[in-house]
Amino acid sequence: MEIIVYGVINSVILSLMALGFTLVYSIARMPNFAHGALYITTGYLAWLFMNSFGHLPYPAAIVLSIAITAAIGALIYRFVLIRIRGMEISEIIATYAIGLAILEGLRWGGLRGMTFTLPPFIAGSTQILGVSVDYQRLVIVGIGILTFATLYLFTHFNRVGLALRGIAQDERAAMMLGIDSDMTAIISLALGSGLAGLAAILLLPLGNIIVEVGYNVLIFAIAVSVIGGLGSWGGTVLASFIIGFAQILTEAFLSSHYQMVVALMAIIITLLIKPSGIFGKQKELEERV
Amino acid sequence: MKKNMFYATVALFVIALCFPCVSPAKEKPIVIGAPLATAFLYGWDAERGIKLAIDEINAAGGVNVAGKKRLFKAEIIDTRDLEPAVPVADALLAMEKLILDKDADFIVGGPVRSEASLAAMDLLRKHKKVSILTTGALTPDYSKRVAENYDKYKYCFRNSSHVPVMMGDFMAILNDLQKDHKFNKAYIMVQDVAHARAGGEYMQKALKAKNWETELKIYPTGTTDYSVGLIDSGKKGAQVLFLWMDMPESAALLQQWSNMKLKSLPMGFMNAAEQPGFWKATGGKGEYMIVNLVNGGNAPANITPWTMKFVDAYKKKWGLEPEGYGTSSSYMAVYQLKDAIERAKTTDSDAVVAALESQDLMGVYGRMRFDKKTHQIIPSWDPKEGAVTGIIQWQAGKRVQIFPPKVADGKILFPPWMK
Repeated sequence: MEIIVYGVINSVILSLMALGFTLVYSIARMPNFAHGALYITTGYLAWLFMNSFGHLPYPAAIVLSIAITAAIGALIYRFVLIRIRGMEISEIIATYAIGLAILEGLRWGGLRGMTFTLPPFIAGSTQILGVSVDYQRLVIVGIGILTFATLYLFTHFNRVGLALRGIAQDERAAMMLGIDSDMTAIISLALGSGLAGLAAILLLPLGNIIVEVGYNVLIFAIAVSVIGGLGSWGGTVLASFIIGFAQILTEAFLSSHYQMVVALMAIIITLLIKPSGIFGKQKELEERV
Repeated sequence: MKKNMFYATVALFVIALCFPCVSPAKEKPIVIGAPLATAFLYGWDAERGIKLAIDEINAAGGVNVAGKKRLFKAEIIDTRDLEPAVPVADALLAMEKLILDKDADFIVGGPVRSEASLAAMDLLRKHKKVSILTTGALTPDYSKRVAENYDKYKYCFRNSSHVPVMMGDFMAILNDLQKDHKFNKAYIMVQDVAHARAGGEYMQKALKAKNWETELKIYPTGTTDYSVGLIDSGKKGAQVLFLWMDMPESAALLQQWSNMKLKSLPMGFMNAAEQPGFWKATGGKGEYMIVNLVNGGNAPANITPWTMKFVDAYKKKWGLEPEGYGTSSSYMAVYQLKDAIERAKTTDSDAVVAALESQDLMGVYGRMRFDKKTHQIIPSWDPKEGAVTGIIQWQAGKRVQIFPPKVADGKILFPPWMK
């Protein structure tokens, strides 16, 4: 039973890690390799607001830190990516360099050791189907589902959301209809970074705020996105469940030692069998052409 | 009168010009190069220990080298060797930079990862630099290599403990738990790095030999979710959770263990649980964790008269208690070098090697003597006989020394849900 319970939790955690990365790629067609750095920055900012700057209450620190991270994402596009848009290799190099600079900057600025932590939203644990689960993990599952539902509604029933979808589906046609491509890219970067921040606020109370976590989050986000199909939200969810359950099954029946290997092997197998990913239709069409 | 004053001033000026070496500040400082992974506990606490000792020694006039007073100077370099993928080449480059660019006379501290410190032995031989390894590396191969090839590696010393000694200490505690509480099931969870895997495998073998039921799980560096393993340990009725991890993320393991109220006593070598900030970081959920700090004095204890003097001086300078493995040993290494240089009356490497081999010094964590063949500090459970370990248990927010019995300040406590 613990395989089902923790399989679901692990899958939701992975999908939250990858959601922002997928959103940016699906709309702006940009692989944001600074995703992991923005994730850890949010956690560190929230910690700073609670413990150093102003000693803000937890909810205020959360809102402020996510807002700042979203603003950083928007600024990254406005001042860096706008100049190299469409040059995929340059986009990867630029975002990865920004991510590295942020992570190493945080380390240089004093983010080291295990003393930086965020409190859980609700302390303690309960039994689900006879399995002990802490409340924070239940909160993650709940907010994770809520986030996906909100994003669905936003992109289907809101003008801005519809504009984002328009750009994602056909950029030229959307521009002909008066949708500003750069503005949607700025919004997508801000939204994607904000989602990375939201994931950090939800997931970091399970552990510590550590620079290395930023690298791990990026690896998992890429793994989920590649397997699901770059830019596909449905693929992101499905890939999260595949990797999430595969990891838990590996730990239960093989060895926890191979958890990361499972994620990386899944990327290689996907690239060999279906390079566009499970739901990567657009890429698949390009490949056929 | 004015004339006399003038002559006296001139005479003093001339004396000062002729004998500039009278003042220790005028002598060339003795440079201690410290290659450390400064972003990690075993790096920054070692740096603080070294700097504290240097400040104390310099404030007292410096090192007396054949009648001339010379000050110590620290050159710290970041080796980054505790990062994932263990960049050994980077650590070696950093160490060579210390020797060639910074003119380090001696090396104290790291490299921190065993893989890097073993690789660095040939650099030390090439440049004939005396090194005292004080932090990180726990492999017994370091001292073994000195014994097997003395002429080549005689410049390498280690004033800190290593895996077999630590295992002996743990086994003594586990034997007592087996005898007094009928414990016979242990669940071993270790990190996927060389020393931790070796530690876990060694412990599994040793426990099986004593009729314990064991299970070994290896986790990749960076793991933050241990739920499945912990649930499994509960199902198998483990009474001891033996952990060996040096990644900061492992604090999450103790939080999950506490949330699940598992009927097991956690113990082991765990970087995250060493530091004073562990209590706050886990919201007190790390209570009852037994941690091996490798050397005494890395937490408040009453091992020798020097132990608490060191703890207080550290608190005064850095604003917190000694933080963990690498603190007291790095501090002591500077004093050991001072003693050896003063007795050798030179900074010549071969003379200092001989002086270190014959050293017998009462230090922060007991009697400091190097084995002449292996250059490994001689361990003991009695501070009058050798270097004493620091095994503590988190009790009500404090790190209480519980082993060895001769210097213990408290007894092992069990979580109330184990009753």
